Amino acid sequence: MELKVENLTKDFGGFTAVNHLSMTMTNGVYGLLGINGAGKTTLMRMLCTLLKPSEGRITCNGKDIFKMDADYRKLLGYLPQDFGFYPEFTVQDYLLYIATLKGIKNSFAKKRVKELITQVGLAKVANRKMKKLSGGMKRRAGIAQAMLNNPKILILDEPTAGLDPNERIRFRNLISELSEDRLILLSTHIVSDVEYIANEILLLKDGSLVCRGTSEELIYSMKENVWRCNVEKAQVPAIQKAYKVSNIKSEAHGAELRIISKDKPFADAVQENPNLEDVFLYYFGEKAGDENAAI
Amino acid sequence: MMKMLRFEIKKVFSKTVNKIALVILMIALCIVSFFAISSVEYVDKEGNSTSGIVAAHHLRDEKNQWSGYLTEDMLLEVIEKNAEINASEEYLSKDYRENNKAYAKKQGFSDIRTILNKAFCSFQEYDYYRADSVSADEAGSLYERRISNLTEWLNSDEVKDNYSEAEKNFLITKYKELETPLYYEYFDGWKALLEYAPTIIMLIVLIMGFLVSGIFSSEFQLKADSIFFSTRLGRNRGTVAKIKAGFLMVTVIYWGVMLAYSAVVLISLGTDGASCAIQTGLGGWKSFYNISYLQDYLLTMIGGYLGSLFILTFSMLVSAKTRSTVLAVTIPFILLFIPSFLNGISILSSVLGLLPDQLLQISEAVNFFNLYQIGGKVIGAIPIIMILYFVLYCALLPILHHVYRKTEIK
Repeated sequence: MELKVENLTKDFGGFTAVNHLSMTMTNGVYGLLGINGAGKTTLMRMLCTLLKPSEGRITCNGKDIFKMDADYRKLLGYLPQDFGFYPEFTVQDYLLYIATLKGIKNSFAKKRVKELITQVGLAKVANRKMKKLSGGMKRRAGIAQAMLNNPKILILDEPTAGLDPNERIRFRNLISELSEDRLILLSTHIVSDVEYIANEILLLKDGSLVCRGTSEELIYSMKENVWRCNVEKAQVPAIQKAYKVSNIKSEAHGAELRIISKDKPFADAVQENPNLEDVFLYYFGEKAGDENAAI
Repeated sequence: MMKMLRFEIKKVFSKTVNKIALVILMIALCIVSFFAISSVEYVDKEGNSTSGIVAAHHLRDEKNQWSGYLTEDMLLEVIEKNAEINASEEYLSKDYRENNKAYAKKQGFSDIRTILNKAFCSFQEYDYYRADSVSADEAGSLYERRISNLTEWLNSDEVKDNYSEAEKNFLITKYKELETPLYYEYFDGWKALLEYAPTIIMLIVLIMGFLVSGIFSSEFQLKADSIFFSTRLGRNRGTVAKIKAGFLMVTVIYWGVMLAYSAVVLISLGTDGASCAIQTGLGGWKSFYNISYLQDYLLTMIGGYLGSLFILTFSMLVSAKTRSTVLAVTIPFILLFIPSFLNGISILSSVLGLLPDQLLQISEAVNFFNLYQIGGKVIGAIPIIMILYFVLYCALLPILHHVYRKTEIK
C-alpha cells in the first residue's frame, strides 16, 4: 500500500492551509505532529476525499484517489477530530449502520461489529445509546467504526483529544494492536501520543512538511541542542526572550532551565539528552518575545 | 439498500421533535375529520338542528327522496314543493323555530334549490331567494342559463379583456360539453371530504417538512458528515437511501393520513353521490371541469400527493445544499403561504395559478378559471400543474443526488 501526496495545496480564499506538500507513505504508523492550524485536518480531509485539493494530487498505488472514488474509500477508515454520531442509536446500531455504508454484507457485519465492540472494550455498553457514552467510550466507538472494513489505510485525526491519561494510554495501545499490515496516519499535537507508536513522525507547519523521520532520528538530530542550566529567578524572563525554553523548574535559590539552542547558552550550561518534546519545541516553539506566537 | 433505508428512517424517528410532529399530525387528522363530519347539518321536523353522523344519515334519507336526473319535470316538482312550503304557516311565521320547521321540509331538495338560485342569477351573483321566484316556464332553461350566464359574463366590461377569444370559446365549449340533465343524489359525504381535504393536505406538508428537512442536513449538524462521506457507499447508495427515505416517508404518511381521513369521513357521512357531477354543488356549478365527485376526489388525492412530493423534495434539496434544517423547514411555509399574500395582485394571477400550493387544493382549484394557452391550445391549470410538478419532481431527484454526493467537508 503506497499513498503518495504530490505537490498538494489547499487554498481557502487566500488562506493556504496545505502548501505544496509532497510525501509518500507505505504501511506503518505515521504520526502527524503540528500545532493547531498547521493544516493537519485539511490534509487528512483531502486524504479521505472529503475535500478536493486546489493543486496537486494524491495517489493510492499510483491511482488518483478522487478517480478511484468508492474503490479508494473501500480501503479507508477514518476517525475525524470532531467525531459526530447519531445520539439516539445504540453503539451496536451505530456500528451496523456504518457497516452498511461501508458496503459490508449484513451477515458479516453483525459478526464484525460484535468482534470490534469486544476489541475496543464496549461489550457491556453495546446496547446503550451513543449519547449516554463517556468521551472515552465515544472515541472507542469511533475507532471501531473506522476499523469495520478492516481498512488498509486508517486515518485518525486527533484521536486522543479530550481524553484523560488512562484513556489516552488505552487508545495508544489499541492503535498499536491495529497497526499490523496497514497504513495508519495519526495526527496530534500531543507529542507523547506518537512518540512510542509511530514508525515515522511528520512535522507539519503552516501547511508544509518541515521535517520527517523516526522518533529516534528526530531526537538524534537535536543531540547537541538541549541544555540544562541553573539561573537566578530574575534572569528567567530575559532568557525566555533569548532562547526557546522547554522547561522551567523552580528551586529554592533560583530556577533550573531546559534550553533548546544550537550554541551553549551559558558557560555553566550542561548538555542534556533530547526528547521528542524538545524536537517539537525546536520546530514549533517561539521565544517569549516572539510576535504571532503559535503555541 | 433496504438496511440503509431502514437506518435512515430510524434516524428521522429517533428524534423527539419528529415524534412530536407525528403525534401532532395524528391529532390534526382527528380534528379535521371531526370538523368534516360535523359540517353536515340536519334540521328535524321540530326545527332542531343537529350535526354529525346521525344527522348525515337523516339528511341522506331526506335528500335521496329527490335523487334522479334534474330534468325539467324534476325542477318543476322542486319549484312546486318549494312554493308550497313558502306558503305554509311555519315559513311565514316570525318565529325562527317555526322557520326552521319549514326549512326541515326543504332540506331534501336544498341542493336543487341552490342550483336554481345559481342558474337564475347573473354569473357572479348568488340570491338565496331566487329559486322562490323561478317560474315554471323558466325551469326548462336551467342548463341553457348556465351557458348564457357565462357568455354574458365573458363579454361584460368587467372581464372581456381578461380572456382571449380562444379562452372564451374554450370555456363555453366546456360548459356545453357538460352532460345534462345532471344526475343528483345525496353527496354531502364527498362535499365535506373535499371541503376539508386541502386543510389536511396542507397540514401534512407542513408537518412532514419537519420530518424530511433533517434527512440531509442532520449529518452536518451532528458532525457525522465526515464519516458518512468517507465511507465506500456514503456518496452513492447512502445518498440514494436518503432520497428513498424521504420519498417513502412522504408516500406512506401522505397516503396513510389521507386514506384514513377519507375512510373516516366517508364511512361516517356516506359514499353516495360519487358519480354526481361537481356542478350539482354550489362551488362546482361554475366549474368548467366536467368531472364527478369521485373524479374530483381522485384528482385531489393525486394532486396533493404530487404537490407534497415536490414541496418536500425541494425542502430536502435546500437541506442538502444549505446544510440547514431550519431553512429547509421554512420552505413548505413559504411555498404555501406566500401565494396567499400575493393573491390580491391581479397581474400575478396567471403565475399564482401555477404555483405548487394549487396542487394541494385541487378541490378548490377546479372552481377557478385559470387558463393557459400552449401552442395555441387552451388548457386548464390542473392538467398543467399535474404534469409540470411531476416533471419538476423527477428533475429534482438527480439534482438532489448530485448536490449531496458532491459535498465537500471544509
